[in-house]
Amino acid sequence: MTRTRAISGGAIVALLAVAVALPYIGATSYVISLVSTILIAGMLASSLNFLIGDAGMASLGHGAIAAASAYGAGWASKQGLDPGTQVLIALGITLVVSFMYGILSMRTSGIYFLMVTLALGMVVYGLAFRWSQVTGGENGISGIKRPEFIGEWWTFYYFLVGAFVLTTALLAVVSRSPFGASLRGIRDSETRMRSLGYSVPAYRLGAFMISGTVAGFAGLLSVWLTHFVSPSTAGVHKSVLLIVMVILGGVGTVFGPLIGAAVVVLVENVLSNEVERWPTVLGLIFILVILFARAGIVGSFNKLIGRLKRRATSTPSPPAEAELVTPSGAPVSERNHTA
Amino acid sequence: MMSKKMSPRGRWSAIVGLGAAAALALTACAPPGASPSGDDANEDTSTLKVGYISPITGNFAIAGQEMVDGWNLYWEVNGDEVNGVTVETVVEDDAGNPEVSLTKAKKLVELDEVDVVVGPLLANTALAVAAYTSSVGVPNLHPVAAADDLTQRSANDFTVRTGSMSASQMHFPGGVWAGDEGYKTAVTLCPDYAFGWESCAGFKQGFEQNGGEVTAQYWYPNGTSDFSTYVSQIRAAGADIAFVTTAGGAPGPDFLKSFMGLGLGDTQDLLMNCCSLDQATLRALGDDVLGFHSVSNWAEGRDSDVVREFNDAYGAKFDGKIPSLNVAGGYMTASLVAKVLEQHGYVSGDDLVAAISSLTVEDSILGAVSFDKYHNPIAPVYIREVQEIDGKLYNVPIKTFDAVDQWLGKTPEEVLAHESYSQSFQG
Amino acid sequence: MFTPVFLAEQTLNGLSFGALLFLLASGLTLVFGLMRIVNLAHGAFYMIGGYLGVVVAGLTGNLLLAVLTGVVVVAVTAFIVEVVLLRFVRGQELPEVLLTVGVSFVIADLCLAIFGGDPHSLPSSAGIQGSMTVGDLTYPWYRIFVIGIAIAIGIALIVIQNRTRIGAVVRAGVDDREIISAMGVNIGWVFTGMFVVGAALAAIGGTIGAGVRSIAPGIQDEVLLYALVVVIIGGLGSVTGAAVGSVLIGLIDAFAKAWIPELSYFTIFAPMALVLVLRPTGLFGRTT
Repeated sequence: MTRTRAISGGAIVALLAVAVALPYIGATSYVISLVSTILIAGMLASSLNFLIGDAGMASLGHGAIAAASAYGAGWASKQGLDPGTQVLIALGITLVVSFMYGILSMRTSGIYFLMVTLALGMVVYGLAFRWSQVTGGENGISGIKRPEFIGEWWTFYYFLVGAFVLTTALLAVVSRSPFGASLRGIRDSETRMRSLGYSVPAYRLGAFMISGTVAGFAGLLSVWLTHFVSPSTAGVHKSVLLIVMVILGGVGTVFGPLIGAAVVVLVENVLSNEVERWPTVLGLIFILVILFARAGIVGSFNKLIGRLKRRATSTPSPPAEAELVTPSGAPVSERNHTA
Repeated sequence: MMSKKMSPRGRWSAIVGLGAAAALALTACAPPGASPSGDDANEDTSTLKVGYISPITGNFAIAGQEMVDGWNLYWEVNGDEVNGVTVETVVEDDAGNPEVSLTKAKKLVELDEVDVVVGPLLANTALAVAAYTSSVGVPNLHPVAAADDLTQRSANDFTVRTGSMSASQMHFPGGVWAGDEGYKTAVTLCPDYAFGWESCAGFKQGFEQNGGEVTAQYWYPNGTSDFSTYVSQIRAAGADIAFVTTAGGAPGPDFLKSFMGLGLGDTQDLLMNCCSLDQATLRALGDDVLGFHSVSNWAEGRDSDVVREFNDAYGAKFDGKIPSLNVAGGYMTASLVAKVLEQHGYVSGDDLVAAISSLTVEDSILGAVSFDKYHNPIAPVYIREVQEIDGKLYNVPIKTFDAVDQWLGKTPEEVLAHESYSQSFQG
Repeated sequence: MFTPVFLAEQTLNGLSFGALLFLLASGLTLVFGLMRIVNLAHGAFYMIGGYLGVVVAGLTGNLLLAVLTGVVVVAVTAFIVEVVLLRFVRGQELPEVLLTVGVSFVIADLCLAIFGGDPHSLPSSAGIQGSMTVGDLTYPWYRIFVIGIAIAIGIALIVIQNRTRIGAVVRAGVDDREIISAMGVNIGWVFTGMFVVGAALAAIGGTIGAGVRSIAPGIQDEVLLYALVVVIIGGLGSVTGAAVGSVLIGLIDAFAKAWIPELSYFTIFAPMALVLVLRPTGLFGRTT
């Protein structure tokens, strides 16, 4: 257990070192903006990862929460309000929207939860589209300003790195807290937890609020990066890609969402320069990952490390990915056919 | 309860905390040399490097590909070296997604160091990219995007509309024509977003300035696939003429299928727009749409040598296909760039936009084109009728409005002072 | 807006749109009911059926041949997807989702490469032409034909489900999967068969639907969304529910767009949200 921790700790430090050094080793501002896009997508995917991994709630409308927050900041910026107020408005909208999501979805689970969140996402998208006096309609809001202290592209980049680290740590801490354990308990057996006296809807709502807040924060950062927001950020397509990022990286892993986000963003933005049929490539990546690395990229990597270590020490210790379970409850390894 | 389990978790968070602290500490000193390289203009004046953004995959792929084809066709036919300057094009696919479009624009400007960005196609992507390119001082040419604001409220010295028109401008003459033809009442059906509001506003003002009255306006949400409920409303309204716009793609043929299916084809006069009756619709519906009318700044059936040459060149390359507005926009943009290179040699930055805007072209494929000081074309608008020529269907102009500007019979100040068009405000 | 002709016309509009929705949704709901798979590639199957149908109808002018071609090709595709891909992740919701998303991406992009981006519409010569006239009401026969097809398929599905051995196996599987194995049936092939049938229904919808709504890039997502909404409203796994949901959405959509245009964007999603809040398992869904 501790050794796995040490490994992931080492990985964190190494990744951080690379992230911090990037601007100093000749990365152009384009590369930085690409990495920033990945970090933001990773943060958004992390918020969803928490919801899926710990609470077993796969939201299909998560992109729309980030979009609502982004619109809040965009609208505030257009009104000429100062950055502090911008942040407050974005936060307020995030909380309200997350609460609406949570309250309307807390009694559902599984596929029904997927559908409620999809419907809510469509409502946000519809508002973004139709309420044009506020949202600018299809054309969106452009020219959104970010606070001066992170006005430079590189200061903003470091701010992003810091924000990513903090939110990732926050989610990891929550996940390892008793609250997180209760969520996993509810995920695995709702009836048992209910009979133990837990208020299941309240826990679900709490999980949603936490996840939603992080998603909203990511939305705010994304307008600060692109200075722009439009309805497509709230679209179903975006939310589907988010789920895809999470699964691609590995549900319930700390770095999975970031890796998943990196794959999707890089295919969309970089591979598309080289390969005309890149959507096919992206689709094939999804398929291959599921077939050959079912626990996702990071999840399968952890598994591999675990297996190697077990072979080396030959002491049967519980595998590191014991917490990696499918939302329906059973550990991945028990359910797999041998691939 | 929490503190009991603190130790492994605590160590973990400590590492993270340390990393974060290190990162934050570093923010105090700027990285050496690295600066947003947008303003490091390409010093090489023998090459004009062009970044071309267009949706080549995804839902708008056909329009996006056509926009690229038009641009490439020009350079293939006329050679890509003009006056000692070679035009080199890097094409980027944005899949119609504004965020990707922006990233691609950054990539083109900062990594490829292009001299000019052309595109993208869709209004929202175009506005996002134009805001970025103007902020880094790179000229941005728009072959197809029709958002009014590109050359109105967001107009700037780095953005020029080269191949299309403002949406309200392009449809204004449709209303004027309907008034001239003696129609007294009209209903409109437009998509429920900026392009639809602007195009309907253009028609409505043109019609009402010419003695007509718009009795009802219907708006269909994006993604509408079954238009029968709107067709029934049009029939129930019983106006002299119906004006219908789409932004291209499936809605055009879908609307027409419902319109003809419900039997309005013979009883209800109809005026459509560029993109709802473009070649894609003609290919999909064939002879069923013979005699239908539309309003556009491009007419592939215009009796003119330049149009014929352009059609032939395109047809020779693409199995006899006939070019649409998207192809024409790309081709037109290329021809304007070539004219500037011919006159001035290598030009970059706002000089390029100024040079394009000062051009007057008498015989372009779009007709006689000049530009206003907001870098928007003043050009002809055609009322077109679908006719069969040598076994193929063309949109043939039956009436031409010359030198149409984007102010709908008002002054620029009046137009810029009022709010943007919406469902509730149609001017 | 309230004349009898207008009301009759809008009712027919609503019913024919609903009929299309039913063709989309019935396959999805059957597959979900038995396999608990949210098949996000359903729209892509519709897309293949539509493109092939239009091309074959254009070449032969024969609608039946067009439908059959679409059905066969899609059935084969679905068979491959099920046997080669889905079998390996059976029972794992999220990997199934990702897998079907991947399949949908690949199919949609390949369709773009093969058929181009032009909207493809069923040639009117291949469909049922002409219009029915009753008093002041004129209505195209093709749309009536769509309603007829949907009713026929709906009845067939219900009969098969309730009156045949296959239906009994499937019904048993919906309730309790172990029972199937106890009945001596290979559950793996029952799943495969159902997946193929669901996809074939989507393909029929694609070809028939191409006479009303043209096939173009992006239709796979749109179709999927509509189908999901109907399935959710009707209740997962219920053919009756899909029928009721389709008609409900079709009618609400037609009349709301005429009477309350301000809400036209929400005509599909508002009823769904309402149903989900009041009765989360759908109108005809089992409460488990």
